[in-house]
Amino acid sequence: MMRAMLMILGLAMASAAEAQRRPPPPPIAPHMMSLPVLEADLRAKAGSNIVQFERDSYVLTPQAQLILDRQAAWLLANPWVRASIEGHADTRQTRDYALALAERRAAAARNFLLARGVPLQQLAIVSWGRERPVVEAAHEATWLQNSRVVTVLKQ
Amino acid sequence: MPVFKSLLLALAALASASAAAQVPEREPLTVVAVPPLPTPKNVETDGGATGVIGIQIAQQIATDLRSSASFLAIAPEKLRQYSPTEAGAPIYPNWADTGAGALVTGYVQARDDGRLTVACYLYDLKERREMTRKGFVVAATDWRRAAHNCADAFYSRVTGVPGHFDTRVAYVAETGPTSARVKRLAVMDLDGSGHRYLGQGEVTVLSPQFSPDGSRIAYMSFTGGTPHIRVHDLDSKKDRPLLPAVAMSFSPAFSPDGRWIAFSMAGEGNSDIYVIRADGGFPRRLTTAPGADTAPSFSPDGDKIVFESDRSGSQQLYVMDADGSNQRRISFGAAAYGTPAWSPRGDLIAFTRMGGSVMQIGVMSSSGRGERVITTGWQDEGPSWAPNGRFLLFQRKARGVGLSAIYTVPITGGEPRRLTTPQPASDPSWSGASE
Repeated sequence: MMRAMLMILGLAMASAAEAQRRPPPPPIAPHMMSLPVLEADLRAKAGSNIVQFERDSYVLTPQAQLILDRQAAWLLANPWVRASIEGHADTRQTRDYALALAERRAAAARNFLLARGVPLQQLAIVSWGRERPVVEAAHEATWLQNSRVVTVLKQ
Repeated sequence: MPVFKSLLLALAALASASAAAQVPEREPLTVVAVPPLPTPKNVETDGGATGVIGIQIAQQIATDLRSSASFLAIAPEKLRQYSPTEAGAPIYPNWADTGAGALVTGYVQARDDGRLTVACYLYDLKERREMTRKGFVVAATDWRRAAHNCADAFYSRVTGVPGHFDTRVAYVAETGPTSARVKRLAVMDLDGSGHRYLGQGEVTVLSPQFSPDGSRIAYMSFTGGTPHIRVHDLDSKKDRPLLPAVAMSFSPAFSPDGRWIAFSMAGEGNSDIYVIRADGGFPRRLTTAPGADTAPSFSPDGDKIVFESDRSGSQQLYVMDADGSNQRRISFGAAAYGTPAWSPRGDLIAFTRMGGSVMQIGVMSSSGRGERVITTGWQDEGPSWAPNGRFLLFQRKARGVGLSAIYTVPITGGEPRRLTTPQPASDPSWSGASE
C-alpha cells in the first residue's frame, strides 16, 4: 500500500519534471553526455557499434568496412571520447585460439580506424576470446554472431 | 605382473570382441572383492566412528578401482564381514563364491593421539597369495586419502602403472548467464572432496595449470583490462602477474621441472609463443610466424614443446625444440587440431580435433602418427593428462547447452565419467602425483 502510494507520488513528480522540461533543452555539449547516450548516437550514425566476421577470419568484410568508415567519422567528430575495440570469437573455437583470433580481429578493426585518421590515443584493443558470447547456439548460423568486434565507448 | 594379470578374470575381451578390436589397448578387467574394512574396536573419532570409516574406505577403494576401467569392483555391501585378524591372513575358501580374482582386506584402528592406523592388503584369490600391502597413519578426517593411496597401490600392482586416485584438479567454476558469465578458479581432490575456490569471481579467469609439484597455479585473468597470466601460490595465497601487463598474455604451461613457463603473447594481431622463468624475468620469443601460435605444452624431458598454429591456414599441431628451433608440423588429418597436451610418459600427444562439425578428444604419437579419437561428444575439448599418462581430463558441452562439465576418460577409450563439481566447470588441469 505504502509502496503503491510512493510510486504514484513518484510518477506525479516525474510528469511534473517532464512538463518543466517541455521547452526544448539547450544543446548539451557531447562531452557532458552519458555513455549510453553517446553509444546510441554512434549506433545511429554508424549503423552499428558491431562488425561481424566469417568463421576463423579476421578479414574486414565490405559491410564491416562500411560500418567502420562511419565509426571513424563519428570518432573524429567526438575526439574527447575514447573507444575500446573489443574482439570476440565464437564458442566453437578452442579457448586459446579464440583469444588469439579475437585479438587479431580487434587489431584489424583498430588498424582500419587508424587508417581513416582516428588518433592512436583514442583507441585501445581488447580480446575477450570466446568468453562473452551474445548467443549460445547449437547451429553455425547463430553461433557466428559471436564472431564480432564491438566498439565500446569510454570516458 | 603379466603373470598375475593373466590369472585374473579377463572379462572385457569376452564381453565384446568387436569393441576390443576397435580399442586394442583396452586392458582386461580384474574382478576384485572389496568387503568393509573391520575395526578392532569401534571408537568415535573426528572423522566419525572407526566402524563406519572402515565401510567408507572400502566404498572409496571400490569407487576408485571401478573408475579406472581396469577393475570390476564388487561393492562392500554385497560381501561378508571378517575380523581384523583375518585381514592379514584371509581364509581363502570363504571368498571362493564371490567370483572375484582378487580380494582387498584391511582394518581401521583408532590411535591414542586421535589419528587412525589404516592398513590395506591385496590378495590373489587363485594363487592364494598376498600381492601388496600398504599402511598409513592419517588424521581421522583424512581417511579418504588413505583409501585413495590403497587404491593407487592396487592399481599400480595390477597394471604396472602408477595410480592417480590421490591427485587434485584445478578448474574454472562457472556461474551466471552466458553473456556475463562469472568464472573463478577452484581446486579439489579428484573425487570432488576438499573443494575450495581461489578468489571471489570478481573477474573472469581461464586456463589454470598446476605446477609440476602442485604448489602453484598459473592462469589467465581479465583483471585490470588487459588479459594476462598470473601465478597463484596455494600455500601462501600470494598471487602475482607473471610479467608486466603491457600486452595480452595467455595460455601458460609449466616446464616439467617447474622453473619455466611457456605462454602466448599477442600484439598487433599476432600471437607468438614465449618462455619465461616461472619467478619472472625477461620473456624469450620462440615463434615468429604471423598468426596464432598458442597452447604450448612441454615434453616430459623438457626438451621439446608441442603447440598449435594457424600458419598453414588452419589450426594444426607443431613440435619445436624448447629453444624454438626445428619447428615442424605433426598433424595432417582432414581436420583442425588445437590445445595439444604432451603425455607425462612422453609417448602420446592429446588434442582437440575439430572436424565434421564436432569437437572431440584424440591422441596421436609425438611424431603425429596413429591418430585416434577417443570421445564422441559434440564439444569435447582441452585435454589434461593424469600423472600416469593413462587417463585424460577434458571439458564437455552438449549441443545447444551453454554449460560445461569435466570428465575423465581412459586413453584406451570407453565411457567418460563426469567429475562432481558444485557448478558448471571448464578448463581442467590434473595435478601430478601427490607422493
